[in-house]
Amino acid sequence: MKGRERKITQIVILIGILLLGGYAVGTTLFASDDEKPKIGGRPPAFDNVADIEGNLHSLDDYKGKPVMINFWGTFCPPCVAEMPAIERQYQKYKDQGLVVLAINLSEDDITIRDFLKRFDLSYSILRDKNRMIERRYALRSYPTTFFIGRDGRIMDIDVGGMDDEEIEQYILRLLET
Amino acid sequence: MNWLSISSGAFLAAFALYCTGFLLYVIAVIGRKWKNREPAAHTRKWSGIAFVFSSLGLAAHLVFFFTRWAGAGHIPTSNMYEFLTLLGMMIMIAFTILYAIYRSPLLGMFALPLTILIIAYAAVFPQEVQPLVPSLQSNWLRLHVTGAALGEAFFAVGFAAGLMYLLRVTDYNDRSASARRSQFWLEFSLYVLIVVAGFIITVFAFRGAGYEATFLQEELSIDARGNEVLTSQTVEYQLPPIVKPHNSEVVAMQPFLGLDRPLFTAPDWMNGVNAGRKFNTVIWSVLSGTILYGLLRLLARKPLGAVIHPLLDGIDPDDLDEISYRAIAIGFPIFTLGGLIFAMIWAEQAWGRFWGWDPKEVWALITWLFYSAYLHLRLSRGWHGLKSSWLSVIGFLIVMFTLIGVNLIIAGLHSYAGVS
Amino acid sequence: MFENTKCECGHQNPPDTTLCESCGKPLGEEALSDRPLEMRYDGVARRSQKKNPNPIDRIWNFFSSVKVAVVLIVVTLVGATLGTIYPQKNTFITFDPSYYEETYGLPGKIYYMLGLHRTYESWWFITLLVMIGASLVICSLDRVLPLYRALSKQQVRKHLQFLTRQRVTYAADLQGGDEEWTARLAEQLRKKRYRVTAEKTALLAEKNRFSRWGPYINHIGLIVFLLAVLARAIPGWQMDQYVGVREGEAVPIPETNYYVKNLDFEVEYYPDEELPERLKGTLRPKRFMTKAELYVCEANCGSTALEPVLRKVKAHDILVNDPLEYKGLKLYQFDYDTTPRLKTIHPVLVDLESGASYGPFELSILEPAPEYEVGPYRLKLITRFLDFTVNASGEPANLSNQPNAPAFLFLIQGPDLPAEGETFFYFPIPTDRERFGQDLINGAMAERFDIRVTDMANVEFAGDVSYLNVRVDRALPYVFVGAFISLIGLVMGFYWQHRRVWLRIDGGRLTLGAHTNKNWYGLRSEVAAALRAAGLEADPKSLDNGGRNK
Repeated sequence: MKGRERKITQIVILIGILLLGGYAVGTTLFASDDEKPKIGGRPPAFDNVADIEGNLHSLDDYKGKPVMINFWGTFCPPCVAEMPAIERQYQKYKDQGLVVLAINLSEDDITIRDFLKRFDLSYSILRDKNRMIERRYALRSYPTTFFIGRDGRIMDIDVGGMDDEEIEQYILRLLET
Repeated sequence: MNWLSISSGAFLAAFALYCTGFLLYVIAVIGRKWKNREPAAHTRKWSGIAFVFSSLGLAAHLVFFFTRWAGAGHIPTSNMYEFLTLLGMMIMIAFTILYAIYRSPLLGMFALPLTILIIAYAAVFPQEVQPLVPSLQSNWLRLHVTGAALGEAFFAVGFAAGLMYLLRVTDYNDRSASARRSQFWLEFSLYVLIVVAGFIITVFAFRGAGYEATFLQEELSIDARGNEVLTSQTVEYQLPPIVKPHNSEVVAMQPFLGLDRPLFTAPDWMNGVNAGRKFNTVIWSVLSGTILYGLLRLLARKPLGAVIHPLLDGIDPDDLDEISYRAIAIGFPIFTLGGLIFAMIWAEQAWGRFWGWDPKEVWALITWLFYSAYLHLRLSRGWHGLKSSWLSVIGFLIVMFTLIGVNLIIAGLHSYAGVS
Repeated sequence: MFENTKCECGHQNPPDTTLCESCGKPLGEEALSDRPLEMRYDGVARRSQKKNPNPIDRIWNFFSSVKVAVVLIVVTLVGATLGTIYPQKNTFITFDPSYYEETYGLPGKIYYMLGLHRTYESWWFITLLVMIGASLVICSLDRVLPLYRALSKQQVRKHLQFLTRQRVTYAADLQGGDEEWTARLAEQLRKKRYRVTAEKTALLAEKNRFSRWGPYINHIGLIVFLLAVLARAIPGWQMDQYVGVREGEAVPIPETNYYVKNLDFEVEYYPDEELPERLKGTLRPKRFMTKAELYVCEANCGSTALEPVLRKVKAHDILVNDPLEYKGLKLYQFDYDTTPRLKTIHPVLVDLESGASYGPFELSILEPAPEYEVGPYRLKLITRFLDFTVNASGEPANLSNQPNAPAFLFLIQGPDLPAEGETFFYFPIPTDRERFGQDLINGAMAERFDIRVTDMANVEFAGDVSYLNVRVDRALPYVFVGAFISLIGLVMGFYWQHRRVWLRIDGGRLTLGAHTNKNWYGLRSEVAAALRAAGLEADPKSLDNGGRNK
C-alpha cells in the first residue's frame, strides 16, 4: 500500500474508532439518569387527567403559570400531614397565579372520597391510574413535590413532608420567575 | 425396565473401570523400568490394555447417561450431580480423542484420575432425578450444557498435560530462588488436588457412618404490618460441626472424637444457615486434605512433585507442550459455541436477554478471555513450554471456579438445583 | 533514503523484507544467523517501521501490537471479576443505594463508592471494550494484507538456504532421474490432498490455505458483535420493562403504545409422585402460562381519565421459553403471584338473638355499593379501608393502596335499632378480624349481629397476577450473526492447518523444506509418510530441525 493511501486509511479508521468509541462511552456517562426529571429540566407532560369532579386537566393548560405538583396517597402519613399546610399556602398565594395540582397515587374512588371528607381542600385533586404518571415522574418515595416555574422548567423537587415555612419558601421562589 | 437402576449400576461400573484403567496406565508407564522388560514393547502392550479398559469405562458411562435420560424424561444435565458426571464423561471423550492422536499412556495416567476425582466429587451431591422447572425445559439447554462440558473437558485434558509438563521439567535439584518458587507452586497445585480428594473421602466416610448434626436458626423480625415474624430454618450437617452457623442452636449432634459441641460460630457476615454449613465443609476439606498431604509427604520424605518427576523421565517435554496446546486449541471453539453462543441463545429465549452480566455468565466470559489470552500468547515463542503450562493450570482453576465457586459462593439466576 | 534490497536472484524486494519474495533467500539480519527461519508472513515486510513514527503511526502501532491486545484482554478479564463480588445494580428491580453498606459493611460501601455496583456499564469497562475493538480492527488490517500478498504470489523453486533452514527439513541423495523423482513425490503429496504446483525439478505442495484466514474472520465476527452491542444504545433499539397483569385486566406497556391483556393465567405444579423424597410437599412449578392478547392503543393513550381505544393485534399463550412476539416487541413470561386476594364476597347478616340470617348480599371489595338491603335491615356504607391499620395517632388508616386487609364500616338501620342507626365494623378476613378485635370495636352490637361468610362458595377471588418481561432488541440478529462469524473463523483456524512443502532436486540431490502454522507433529508425520511412500527412508523425528524455544 502506498504511503499516502495508507496514511489516509489509518486516519479514517482511527477517526471511526474515536467516534464510535466516544459514542459508546458517552452513553454510559449520560444514559441512565436521563429518564428522571431533574431540576432545570422540563416536567414530563400529562394530558386529560381527571380530577375528583371529573374535569380533565393537562399540564399544558398551565403553561406560563407557576405550578406545584404534589404526589400523595391516603396510605402515606407524611402526605396526609402536609395537606393542611398546602391548603393554607395555596389560599395565601392563589391570587398571585399559583396553581396546585395534587396527583393521587392511583387509589380508587371510595378511598379518596372518604378520605377527603375529613379535609376542606380547595386545590385540584387529580387522579393517576395504574401508576402511569408516577412512573413518568420516576418517583422513589412519597410525598414528592415538583415546583415548576413560569418558564416551564422544574425549579425545585422536594421529597418528604413539608411544613408551612418550607412550602412558602419554595412558592416565593416560584413567584419570582 | 427400570432405567434409573440400570443407570446407577452403569455409573458404578464406569467408576470401577476408570480406576482399573488408571492402574493399568500406571503399570504401562512405571513398568518400563522394571527388570526383564523391553520398555517400548511393555509400554505398548500395557497401554493397549489400559486403553481398552478406559474405553469400556467410557462406554459404561455413556450407558449411565442415556439410561438416566430415558428414566428421567429429560436430558440429565440440570443439577450439580448430573453436570459433573457429564463433565467427567466429556473429559474421557476428549482424552480418547487425544490418545488416538498422540498415543501417550502418560496422558492416561493423568487424565483418568482427573475424571475419577470429578465424578467422585459429583457423587457428593444429591443424586435424585429432579423434575425441571419451566426455565430449564428447552432444547438449547441440551446443546448449551453438553457443549460447555465438552469444551471444558478439553481444557481439563490441557491442564493434565500442562501439569505433566511442569512435573517433567521442574528440576528438584536446582536450589536457586526461581527454581524453588516453581517447585513451591507446583507442590501447592498438587496439594489443592489432594484437598479436593480429602473433601471427597471425608464426605463419604461420614456419610457411610451416617453422621448427622442439626442446627436451628431462628430470626425474629418485624414485618411491614407491625407483626412479629419468627423465621426458623433448620440445617443438617453431614460432617461434624467445627463451625456452627451464625446465631443458631444445636438441635441434635452426634459426638465425634470427644467433640460434643461445635468449636466455633461462623462470623456474622456469613448470614444464612447454609453459609455456616459450607464454611464447615471447607474447613473439613482443608483439614483432611492437609492431613492426607502430610501423611503422603511423610511416606515420601520429599515433595510429592519430586516423587512423580522421575516417572516422567524420558518423555519429550515438547510433546507434552504440544498436547496441552492442541487440547486447548480443539476445546476453545467448542467452548465458544457451547458455553457462550448457545448460552446466549437460550438466555434470550428464556429470560429475554442474551446477556445479563450475571456471575455465571461473567465467569464463563472470563474463562473465554483467559484462554483467548493464552492462545494469543502462544504466538510468541517465548511463551511456549513452562509459561504455557502454568497458564493451562490457572485456566483450569478458572473453569472449576466458574463451575463450583460461582454456584457455591455467588448466587444468581443461574444456580443449579440440588447443591449440597 | 533508498535501501538496495535486490536479491541475488534478481528480484527487487521492498525494504525490511526478511525473506526474498521470489526465491526465499534470507536477507539482511536473517541471513546472518543460522537458526530456523522466522516464517511469519513469509518474511514480507509487515509494515513500514519508519525511523520517526509520527503520532498517527504511534497510535496505530500501539493497537497493532499483540502484546497490547493480550494486556487489554487480561485487564478486561480482571475488571469483569470485580463485578461479580457483590450483586450488581441491575439485579434489583427497585434499587436502594444503601444496600451495599447495610449488607456488607465497609467493603460494601467502598464497592458502591467506586461505582463497582455497575461495573459493566461503567465508562472504564466500556473504554476497555472499545480499545479491544480498535485492536481487533487494527491488528487484523495490519496483518491480513501482507499475508494475502505473500500467499498469493508464491514461487515454486526456493533458495537452498530457505529450504534447509525450515523447521522441517530433509535432504537425500537420489538414484534415478530428477524429473521422475519430482513427479513421484508430487504424486505422493497429491495423495495426501496437497495441491501441487510442479516445475520440472521443483515443486510446491500446499493445503488448507483457507485456514490462515480463520483468525481474521474470527476478528471480523467479533467486530460485528461489538458493533451490534453498541447499536443497542440507539434510542428505540432496546427496551427492558416489567409489567404485572392481573387476570381479566389490560395494562399499558410503558414507553410504547401497546396494552397487554391477561385473559387467563395457569400454573401447574409437579404432583408429589413426580418429585423425589426431599422435594415432596414443595411447590415446584412444572409449567406456567399466560393466555395473553396484545393491543395497540389508537386514541386516549396514556390518559388516566379517558378510556383508551384499543385494537387487538396479537394473541399468544406465553410460556417461559415461548414469548409473544410482535413487530420486534417480545413479551416473556417472567414470574407470577398467586397470593389469593378477595374480589367479591357474599356474606350473610345474622341476628344473633333470634338466630335468623339474612342475605347473602353481594359485597365487592374494590367497588362496594353505598347501600344494601338485607332482610329487614339496611346497611349503609360509611367508609371502606383497603389495607386497614391503626396509625400513630390511634386513628384508622390505610397502610397501602393494595387490598391486603379490607375493612368495612357500616351503619345498620332497621327494626329494634335507633333511628340514626348503629355502626358496625366488618373485617372479611378472619385473621384481620382477630388482629384488630372486631368484636371489641363493635361493643354491644357484636352481641346482636354478626356478618359472616358461611360458605367458601360465596367468596370470589381476584385473578392471579402474571409478571411479564417486555423487551425490544433490534440489534439482536446482528449480535448472533457476529457471534457465528466469529465461531466459523475459530473453527477454520483451529481445526485445519496450513501446510506447505517445497522441494527441489539438483543433480540427484533432494532438498526439502516444509512449514505449517500449527501442529508440527502432524506435519512431520505426514511428510515422512509421503517420503516413505515414494521409497525414501524417513522418520518423523529426523525431519525435525529444532526451532523451539527452551
